[in-house]
Amino acid sequence: MRALVLDGSREGDSFTPVAVLGMTSALAGRVDDVLLFKLRELAIAPCTGCFGCWTRTPGECVVEDSARDILRSYVGSEIVVYATPVTFGGYSSQLKKMLDRFIPVLDPRFTTVGGEVHHLLRYRRYPKTIGLGTLPSPDPEAERLFAGLVARNGLNIHQNVESIVLVGVADAESARRSAENLLDRAGVTS
Amino acid sequence: MNALILTGSPKGRKSASFTLASKLAEGLRENGASVNDELVHPGLRTEDGTRRMLDAVDAADLVVFAFPLYVDSLPAPLTRLLELVAERRSGVASPGAPRLAAIVQCGFPESHQCDTAVGICRLFAERTGMRWAGALAMGMGGSIGGDIGRLPGGGKNILDALNMAAESLAKGDAIPAEATTLFARPLMPRWMYTMFGNLGWRMQMRKNKARRPLT
Repeated sequence: MRALVLDGSREGDSFTPVAVLGMTSALAGRVDDVLLFKLRELAIAPCTGCFGCWTRTPGECVVEDSARDILRSYVGSEIVVYATPVTFGGYSSQLKKMLDRFIPVLDPRFTTVGGEVHHLLRYRRYPKTIGLGTLPSPDPEAERLFAGLVARNGLNIHQNVESIVLVGVADAESARRSAENLLDRAGVTS
Repeated sequence: MNALILTGSPKGRKSASFTLASKLAEGLRENGASVNDELVHPGLRTEDGTRRMLDAVDAADLVVFAFPLYVDSLPAPLTRLLELVAERRSGVASPGAPRLAAIVQCGFPESHQCDTAVGICRLFAERTGMRWAGALAMGMGGSIGGDIGRLPGGGKNILDALNMAAESLAKGDAIPAEATTLFARPLMPRWMYTMFGNLGWRMQMRKNKARRPLT
C-alpha cells in the first residue's frame, strides 16, 4: 500500500513541516511506501483552464511539468494527504497550485452525487483523501471552512474524507499522535 | 471612490469572470466610481506586475475579486495574491480598510457550490482588516461566454443583480441580499444544463479525435 503526501507548506511556515513529519511517521507504520512531495520546491505551473486534459489528451494535462509525475503517483496510491497551513480557511497557494491540476483524474461529463451535480469518475478507484491543516493559534471559523473544503473536495471523487487541523503543534511526537488518530478515523490500517 | 477589480481567471479577458467583472465595472463607473482592473495570473508572473497589484490594493477603497471556482475554492494564483496582500498588510501599522467584494461563478449548476470560496474571501477580509461587502455567486458559469445578453432571458437576472450591486458598492454599501439572490438564480433547469454540458464535452472530444483516455 502506498501513501502520497503533498506538503503545501510555505516559506517560513514552522507548523506544517512538523505536521508532515508526524504524518509520514504515522504512515510508515501502516503502509509499505510513503511518497512525499514538497510542493514549494517544485515548478508547477498554474492550471490554464484550457480543458485539454478533458478534450484533447483525456486523463493527462497538456502542460509538461512535475504535476504529471504527481498525478501518476496519485492514481497509483491508496492514500493521499493534503498538508497545508490553513489559509483563510482554505489551502496554501503551494498546495492549491497542485490541486488545480488534478482535474484530469475526472471525466468531464456530469453525474449526481449527494443531490449535487459533480463530474463522472475516470478511474474505478481513488486514493482515500485526508486533509491535514495547521494553524498557529485557534481559529474556529478557519477550521470550520477548512473541514468543509476538504469534504467538498471529497465529493468531487465521490468519497467521504477525513480532515484535522493541528493548532499550535510544534513537536513531531504530538503531531504523530494526532496523525495516528486521524488515520484510525480514516480506517487506514497496516 | 477608487475601485479595483482583480480577475482571477487564467483565461483573462476572454473569461466568464472578466465578462461579469466588466459589467460590474460599467455600473460602478455609471455611479461615479473610478475603476481600475488587473488580471491576476499575468500580473503575478513578474515582480513589477505583482508590485503594481499590491500597490493598487493599497490605493483602493473597494477591491472586487472576480474568479471561477477551482476545486471548490479560489484558483491558485488568486490564493497567492491573498497571501501576499496579507503579508504586506501585516507589516504596515495602519493599512487602511478597503471594502472587499467577490463575484464567483462555477461550472456546476448549483450556486451554493461557491459558498466555501465566498467564505474564504470573507475570512480573508476579516483577518486582514478589510471590510467585507458581500458576494455574488452563480452556478452554470459554463453558459456565460462573452456576452451576458445572449443567455436565456437575455441574462436579465444577472444584469439586474450586477447593476444593483454596482449601485450599492459605489455608495459605500454592501451588495444587497436581493442582488445575491437574483444572481444565484439558475439560468435554466438543471437537467437542461447537464444535458447540453455533456453534449458539449463529447463534441469537443470528437472534434479533437480524443475519445479514448490516455491513462
